Amino acid sequence: MKSLRVCLLILSVTALASAGDNEFRSVVNALEGHYGVHHTHVPLLGFAMWFARPEGVSGMKLATFENLNGTAEADDVSRLVEKSLGHDWFPFVRVRSRNADGGDDEATLIYASPAGGKLRMMIVNVESSEATVVEVKLSEHAIKEWFKEPAEKADDQSSHHRHHADD
Amino acid sequence: MIMIKIAMKFATRMLWLIPLFATAAIVHAQDVPIPPDIQKLSAKAKETVEVTMDGPMLHWASKFLSADDPDEAKAAKLVANLKGIYVRSFEFEKEGAYSAAEVEQLRSQFRGPGWSKVVGVRSDEDGDNVDIFFKLENDKMAGIVIICAEPKELTYVNIVGPLEVEQLADLGGEFGVPKLDRKTLKHAQKADKADKEDQKEERKEDQK
Repeated sequence: MKSLRVCLLILSVTALASAGDNEFRSVVNALEGHYGVHHTHVPLLGFAMWFARPEGVSGMKLATFENLNGTAEADDVSRLVEKSLGHDWFPFVRVRSRNADGGDDEATLIYASPAGGKLRMMIVNVESSEATVVEVKLSEHAIKEWFKEPAEKADDQSSHHRHHADD
Repeated sequence: MIMIKIAMKFATRMLWLIPLFATAAIVHAQDVPIPPDIQKLSAKAKETVEVTMDGPMLHWASKFLSADDPDEAKAAKLVANLKGIYVRSFEFEKEGAYSAAEVEQLRSQFRGPGWSKVVGVRSDEDGDNVDIFFKLENDKMAGIVIICAEPKELTYVNIVGPLEVEQLADLGGEFGVPKLDRKTLKHAQKADKADKEDQKEERKEDQK
């Protein structure tokens, strides 16, 4: 009986992890399909992120896109992302800067999915023909920081991931 | 000719629908957390920050405010009963990027029935204007809208749900809600008190 419980627990955890992975992949696939590009592989990224990840952040997944076919507009990207994410994801923060012509200069879209004591975040940053998708899990301390200053944290996070992608 | 007459008759009969639609539009504007005028201002801004906290996400968030910290405990109690917190903040390239009429148009959406006294704090020195609108339902506060207009910045905050003006201070600094200065909060508390007294008197007169 005990072994059955353990098996069920492992199965449910695996299913949860796989669901999280599915959503990340789903967002990446949606961007790839819409903008006709494949995400770029960054060598030794996992190794670099393990050392340089922000405090209270775990389970980081990252995909970067370059040379998108067409300019990535925040509204289009937001529609694509929302369509790809499930009902347990909520729009949380959106930071958008415009250029002199009124077009999008840069946009950071953050969606959150609360689960138990952790918060999963899908962060999508778009800048003309480039995009970055990041999924992270936040610790209790990091969640508090985000709730205190969501806009400031969004700014920090997008520049942090851009920096990683540039490396 | 007969067709024109029929059309005229139809148009005249349909005229009564105009005020009905207008009223519906005002009621709708109050129920929508982000009015369409905000989107228009967003298009002019150099940078826009949107923070949305509602539904299960907001209730979940309240659990992360510490019970040991008196300030966070107060905020947690308050947030647990709220329906939504919506913050929209715009930064403009230069002064005059948005007009006073546009802000007035935005303010006017919170002057209809269901919305109560307005607190307006004007600063001639730095051009900062803060307006606070209360939504009352059955004599109880059901929401607060704050519009802070500065020469190069504009912030719109809509807190939907039961809260008191005094509690605004507890929420300031959490979830992107700006901290209001004491002067503005005092004005708001005074206006809230006066408004509740007015309503009581109105009810007494109605009963008579």
